[in-house]
Amino acid sequence: MNRNIPSISKLNNLFLDKELKPSELFEQVYENASFTESILHAHLELFYDEGLENSKKSDERFLKGESIGKLDGIPIAIKDNINVYGYKTTCSSKMLSNYVSPYDATVIGMLKETGSTFTGKTNLDEFAMGSSTENSAYGPTKNPWNPDYVPGGSSGGSAAVVSAGSAVASLGSDTGGSIRQPASFCGVVGFKPTYGTVSRFGLIAFASSLDQIGPITNTVDDARIIFDNIQGYDPKDATSIKPEYTEPKNKKLKIGIIKELMQEGVSEDSQNEVNKVTQLLENSGHEVVETSLPLTEMALSVYYLIAPAECSANLSRFDGVRFGLREPASGSYEMMNKTRAVGFGEEVKKRILLGTYALSAGYFDEYYGRALKVRSKIISDFQKAFDDFDFLISPTTPSPAFKFGEKTENPLEMYLSDLCTIPANLAGLPAISIPTGLSDNNMPLSIQLMGKPCSDYSLLDLAESIEDMVSFNHLPKMTKGDK
Amino acid sequence: MSLKPTIGMETHVELDTESKMFCSCKVVETDEPNISLCPTCLGLPGALPVPNKKAIEYIVMLSLGANCSITKEGMFHRKNYFYPDLPKNYQISQFDFPVGVEGSLEIVIEDSLHTVAIERVHMEEDTGKSIHLGSGRIDSATSTLLDFNRSGVPLVEVVTKPIISSAKMAVAYIEELRQLVIDLGISKGKLEKGNLRFDANISVAEEGSDELGVKVEIKNMNSLKSLEKAIDYEILRQTKMVQDKESIIQETRHWDENKQVTLSMRTKEGSADYRYFSDPDLPNMVINEEFIEISQNQIKETPEKKRKTLLDTGLSLSDSNYLDKGQRWLYELYLSTVKETFDCKSTFNFLTGELQGQMRKAEISELPQWVNSEKLAGLINLFENNEVSFTSAKDILAKLLIEDIDPKSFASDNNLIQSSDNDEIKTLVTSVINENQDIVERLENPEDKLVGFLVGQVMKSSESKVNPGSVKEVLLKELFG
Repeated sequence: MNRNIPSISKLNNLFLDKELKPSELFEQVYENASFTESILHAHLELFYDEGLENSKKSDERFLKGESIGKLDGIPIAIKDNINVYGYKTTCSSKMLSNYVSPYDATVIGMLKETGSTFTGKTNLDEFAMGSSTENSAYGPTKNPWNPDYVPGGSSGGSAAVVSAGSAVASLGSDTGGSIRQPASFCGVVGFKPTYGTVSRFGLIAFASSLDQIGPITNTVDDARIIFDNIQGYDPKDATSIKPEYTEPKNKKLKIGIIKELMQEGVSEDSQNEVNKVTQLLENSGHEVVETSLPLTEMALSVYYLIAPAECSANLSRFDGVRFGLREPASGSYEMMNKTRAVGFGEEVKKRILLGTYALSAGYFDEYYGRALKVRSKIISDFQKAFDDFDFLISPTTPSPAFKFGEKTENPLEMYLSDLCTIPANLAGLPAISIPTGLSDNNMPLSIQLMGKPCSDYSLLDLAESIEDMVSFNHLPKMTKGDK
Repeated sequence: MSLKPTIGMETHVELDTESKMFCSCKVVETDEPNISLCPTCLGLPGALPVPNKKAIEYIVMLSLGANCSITKEGMFHRKNYFYPDLPKNYQISQFDFPVGVEGSLEIVIEDSLHTVAIERVHMEEDTGKSIHLGSGRIDSATSTLLDFNRSGVPLVEVVTKPIISSAKMAVAYIEELRQLVIDLGISKGKLEKGNLRFDANISVAEEGSDELGVKVEIKNMNSLKSLEKAIDYEILRQTKMVQDKESIIQETRHWDENKQVTLSMRTKEGSADYRYFSDPDLPNMVINEEFIEISQNQIKETPEKKRKTLLDTGLSLSDSNYLDKGQRWLYELYLSTVKETFDCKSTFNFLTGELQGQMRKAEISELPQWVNSEKLAGLINLFENNEVSFTSAKDILAKLLIEDIDPKSFASDNNLIQSSDNDEIKTLVTSVINENQDIVERLENPEDKLVGFLVGQVMKSSESKVNPGSVKEVLLKELFG
């Protein structure tokens, strides 16, 4: 793929062939960041000193022929809701503006083992609640393809840094599309693995039963390499699984187009990408058939009961007692109330209220209880679909990136931008977004593929073959040398 | 109008596990605050809970010990409420699928057996500790100090059905439950350390009525004594209110140890909404047959089993219950001693009366290693067979507690063996009768108190070397034929 930054495998070869040093790459990435950050505001914090130091250690290893693996010396950006020991984890919230994590998330510990370096922490919608990074307490991130447009969210910062070349890859988290939607808006690859394959320990929870860490990268192979290094059972996460990855039965795949995600409410642009890819898949001998998953139309409603309900409890710990913001007051309860009133932004408060309401006595059965029931039906619908199909295809988003402020007045419309991505979270499925084309106004378009649980590697294989066929080789405006 | 009280007990049992419920922090017993903490039990962002398998084993043991059925697929729920010493501002607990349901405990009140029905046994995590400076209450404190050592310590809550009918019965129930957790080895069971903490729900209703009265919850009872007093006080308070036609309000009251009254803490205006929902961080708790069997095999002893063993030696129910609830060594010493004395009552009396009394006086908490059941049985047999007087037996015991002696040889070496020689006794009796003619003349029948006086005179003249029973026998024969 024609990118201003080569793929991880290529970089690894350059390191091995002594044509490039990890520290030189780090400096280059940092230079890109210095150039783009003032406009994009994608990183909240850059770890220049430690990053450079680590990349120099990689230099040494490559020099001695003792490099650890493909990620050795690769600069990776981390979404700022994943704890890195000794650094601030703000979740883009005022609540945690001074919070320094005393421990590493499991994925961070694993990445440190690979010899990779961290460029810094990236911007997000506060506590990962949002689809545009407009909910960040520290200001929004701009889309590298056009700074008038949102980068998507909540992992908007993680998508923008990869797109702009100020990191080779990044980690995001995906609760209802927060990896795939911004990846789609920024023209990069975003992969949400099967729920439970990547540890959530150290990821600041939004909705525990939906949250999943995953990579945002330039190429599908990059995503595979990152995933390979962060997946696996973690005894510190009780929802973590010991995955047994599956392969499709036949080489000739049967792929289903989700009918409900190819109708009104989804732009023609987005639908066209699916049709284009369908054609390519058929040309290479696969079978692509339309299929109906009627309950996907209810996924959004179910999501907006389950996610707020879980977040209403998950965010209770932010009370000013032990860490983070504390607003002075005369008593304990007054202090907690004031701290939460001042520390949380509007969207976070809205979702806490929604969730609290959905769990309240007298409303529980009607809202949260019912949402759980529909969720289990959605799961069994997907199970049935995967009896017939190896993979499912749909647009990643109902439309390409929108402009700042365009949807802030209408939260329902904002919520709709996760229409196609939410079902995979509800069912715990692996799903990937890959860029496939450009809209009339030169913003990236993409398709989404979903697989059954633990089909992660074969899903990546299919995504890679589509990546080859579409050869999306456009570059965002905001790259080095522009402007 | 006759009123009857109904009481239900909620008891929290702190489990004696190595580590906390959802993290690997050690469970510590110390006054030094905040030394056993990690991101999980401190509720730091991003930290996750992982259940302690040992604690689950312990709660299954307790549920089995309390004759409950085990829920095969249980669930952890989040109980949401804000309090500074609750780090996540929700407590991981159980709601509609507790580990144990529908059990019962057999309890003893004086000399009768009763059954207390158990509604549920569920698993949860403890909170930290708050010290409210300036007032003792959160709303009026000048500042609050927090210690999170206790945060995340595994707790089991045992809830009875509302069927306890008196303060005495509540006390007997807590004693039984406490003994159960000690015998199972799952908790230290120390009330003064807060290993067992209990609340009582009390109501009064007309005798014979099917409906219960308005329930009042009593908290802050730190000992069995305060439990008994608080319940008695509350029953009286409610009874008086009903008789005065005042309406009782549903509320939580706390027992004021200084004033010896219950005082209102908060009224429950449409009880608190904890918004329970199943914890998405924790998969369902599957307790299969194999796990139940493993837990069952860990149960070596229960108070009920011990009581049966004691009853089988011939002891009364109340004596059996006394030993059942006492220290383990005493229970074991009794069982091994009674095997050699064949006399349950005198063995019980000697061990619980004399032995424990002397140990208390001498301030020794542990028996010297040479004091074994063989020696104690020997001593008990000596006075039971009238070979030594009870007074001598006491002296021998005192010696035995400080020196490794053989009771029988000690008795003979020290001239403590009583004479049962009738000729010798007869001589002594005759001389006492002669010396006390005035008293002999006043005797009306063998039951006369003065007989005892004369026996005493004979004992005195023999320097207690004769058996008082034989003396009495000979004396009566001489006097009444």
